[in-house]
Amino acid sequence: MRNLTIFLYEWKHFVGSPFKIVAVLLFILASIYGLHNGADLYKKQNAEIERINKEAETKIETTLSYFENNQKGPENRPWIDVTSPFWALWHTPTYHFKKPSPALVYNIGQTEQYGFYKAIGTSSSPYDADMTNEISNPERIQSGTLDFSFVILFLLPLLLLVLLYNIKGQEAEHGFLPLVFVQTGSKNWWLLSRTAFYTLLLLLVLFGVMLYGAMLTNVFDSEHVFGNIFLWVTLYLFFWVIIYFLILKYGKNTVSNTLQMIGVWLLFAFIIPATVQQWITIEKPTNLMVDLIDVSRDTKSEINAQSIQKIDAQLFELYPNLKNTKVAKENITTSGIRGLSTDALINVEMKNATKTIEEENESKNKLISKTYWFNPITYFQNKLNQLSNTHYNDYETYRNTIQKSVDKRNKIMVFDVWNDIKVNKEKYLEYITTLSNNE
Amino acid sequence: MFQIIKNEWRFLVRSRIFLGISIAFISIMLLSVFLGNYQTQKQAQTHQNAKDHVRQQWVSIDEMNPHSAAHYGTFIFKPSNLLSNLDEGVNSVTGNVLRVEGHVQNEIVHSEASQMQAVSRFGKLKPSLLLQYIVPLLLVFLASNSISNEKQSGRLKLLVLQGAKPLQIILAKTLSVWLYGVVLLSLILFVYGILNLQSLTADILARTSLFFLSYCLYYFIISGLTVFFSARWQNATLALTSMLGIWIMWTIFLPNILMSSVEKWHELPSRNEFQTAMKEDRSKGLDGHNPTDKRSLALKEKVLKEYGVDSVSQLPINFDGMRMQADEDYGNSVWDKHFGSNRNVLQKQKQSFQLGGIVNPFISLQNTSMGFMASDNLHHQEFLLQVENYRRVFIKMLNDKQTFGGSKTGNWGWKIDNAFFKSVPDFDYKPTQISAVLSNYMLDVILMIVWTILVVLLIVFGTKKIKIV
Repeated sequence: MRNLTIFLYEWKHFVGSPFKIVAVLLFILASIYGLHNGADLYKKQNAEIERINKEAETKIETTLSYFENNQKGPENRPWIDVTSPFWALWHTPTYHFKKPSPALVYNIGQTEQYGFYKAIGTSSSPYDADMTNEISNPERIQSGTLDFSFVILFLLPLLLLVLLYNIKGQEAEHGFLPLVFVQTGSKNWWLLSRTAFYTLLLLLVLFGVMLYGAMLTNVFDSEHVFGNIFLWVTLYLFFWVIIYFLILKYGKNTVSNTLQMIGVWLLFAFIIPATVQQWITIEKPTNLMVDLIDVSRDTKSEINAQSIQKIDAQLFELYPNLKNTKVAKENITTSGIRGLSTDALINVEMKNATKTIEEENESKNKLISKTYWFNPITYFQNKLNQLSNTHYNDYETYRNTIQKSVDKRNKIMVFDVWNDIKVNKEKYLEYITTLSNNE
Repeated sequence: MFQIIKNEWRFLVRSRIFLGISIAFISIMLLSVFLGNYQTQKQAQTHQNAKDHVRQQWVSIDEMNPHSAAHYGTFIFKPSNLLSNLDEGVNSVTGNVLRVEGHVQNEIVHSEASQMQAVSRFGKLKPSLLLQYIVPLLLVFLASNSISNEKQSGRLKLLVLQGAKPLQIILAKTLSVWLYGVVLLSLILFVYGILNLQSLTADILARTSLFFLSYCLYYFIISGLTVFFSARWQNATLALTSMLGIWIMWTIFLPNILMSSVEKWHELPSRNEFQTAMKEDRSKGLDGHNPTDKRSLALKEKVLKEYGVDSVSQLPINFDGMRMQADEDYGNSVWDKHFGSNRNVLQKQKQSFQLGGIVNPFISLQNTSMGFMASDNLHHQEFLLQVENYRRVFIKMLNDKQTFGGSKTGNWGWKIDNAFFKSVPDFDYKPTQISAVLSNYMLDVILMIVWTILVVLLIVFGTKKIKIV
């Protein structure tokens, strides 16, 4: 009962402190601003995906009109023949998208480091130039967008600091701390009740702003997203509440408590993550992708310069069923057919090169994960990134999907060229259906 | 006044807490300089290896058709910068590799940030991180109780009775706190200078001096404002919390909000929109690979007339190379138009952001810090421009060889020997001189000077009626 009284009395403390009220209001404003930033990005990405899909539809309609009008391609490009698998596939626009999660409203994560749409061709790679971030101001990317997760990770501890900094210290400075202890019985419960009041207040604020955010995108369409993010935000809040509580419990005065609180915040928000990032870049410097460069130029030239027999042997190893195709059975040795098939071999080499890159990146990520136990903000940031599908791993999955699509395209190309397929409207539509299926 | 500053320092040095914090902080600062230097050396080595590897591939081309060589192209790696030891700016989020080839202007790719999961929202442990975020906080803590403590202990009254003017005392306190920041700043720059003594150039020295100046101004603003609050308010806690509030607004809140907002006010196109627009404009020009293209035919007629012959086979040159170069020239004008437009948008964004310095001197500090350390977007754009200029020279050399090197039109099998490839110069990055870009940062410097004057005025006029007890 006594604890409840302390708890309720804290409300009077709070409403009597304009500084704390302004801080909470500013926090709510920042949260709303951050949520809108996330929602804007979500809408922007969806609009862009829709625009690209429409553009692709127009291209498909143009190509279909060639089939319908018995044309081989555009009049000013006489060398194009859409009845051949090569040109038909060339004119099959296939885009792979990383559709934004509605949870983007809460956390932009690493979204702005990568592209979210990719045009697929037989020589495409998940490391192509169009896989980099959208055209944007690098100074903004460097400073990061003020999204909801930024507000949570960096401003929430500061708000908590503003709300808690003078608890106990103020009473001690005014000399009535012993009186408080006598009246309340237990100093720990007194401190805990007061801290619990602000924790509950912040939980209500967070729940409210998150609910507001949910209305901006379709967060509730994705199962458990809201609940999971709220759970992690709550855990994060508790993490800071415990730290600040301990500082208050053992602290002597307001200034020293404030200094310690801000010191811990600086350590976790700035010093540790910055040191870890510095260490990682020293340990594993930025990959300049020389292996990928070598494959894209020298290995490509070497493969293309090989004899027909060598190319055939490599193709048969890659696709054993290729031996059952018309070209293989009739032993047709036209170099043009091989020329159209070598992209599949180059693709294999590209995959080997990208595998090394992914492994190197993975080792960097492992190193970062090993620091989580003393680097909590990075841990929570990556946790939120995972929940909003904006983590490095989500983009790795996206790259893998792209690679599968390139593999599929190459296989279709090689088999249809080797089977001497004549593409008609139906076949072209089949290409579209097969290639637009990401599974 | 000098005596008061001397006394202040004497008190500071006697304080064990202050000494402990200072020693710990200086250690972190020195660590940041050493780590930054080591990282730059390591990155420079990786860069040099990649550069040499790619160059070796180019000069080892036995023989190749010049246009095939234009497609083979080369790669430029963004060089690491000695100055970025102090402030890395945008370097970790911009790409590092740029492919240089015929027909297309590629984007710079493979940024450091895209190669790992998220770590630090405020970048690496570089001196700029400590100088921008932590040192001002230390100054706030030092200055917040400078006057209020004197008031509470009655020393202020004593000092006034001894003949010191309140304004003198406040200015001296401001200067003594400010000096602490300047000492830390000087220490970092000194160690940085010692570590890079052999690489120091006049440009680096000029840039570092300007860097020093901008931080000095900012530290004065912070110190002065905190001492002012300490003098005006009755207790140190109020002065401290007020300044902490200002610090949060200035360093965490406003730069982020403003940066996000300017990108909305001056919007850049999406990559797809941009590429579609480029493609559309290019389609209006000449297609280097299409001899039946109308513009190609017109160019052919013109060249035939110039040489006084009836067909391309009679030409003493290779018309294919000439057509390719005409295609390039047209492509270059399209690039100039579209990239120029993007650069204009980026410039407008920067100017709008710089104006944020009117309400927040931290924005001006951030701009000058990375600007003077050659790691802001402006310097990045300068690098991209140098690469594009190199690309034009590189491709023109190849197209000219195709045209005038002795082959005939249609002879795509014609190859040029290794000596030619060796003669093609490698990309030589010329660091942008500060004198060429200084005007871009004048607004930031002016705003910081204005802020400094405002703080002085605030101290002079705002502390006239302070209670000395």
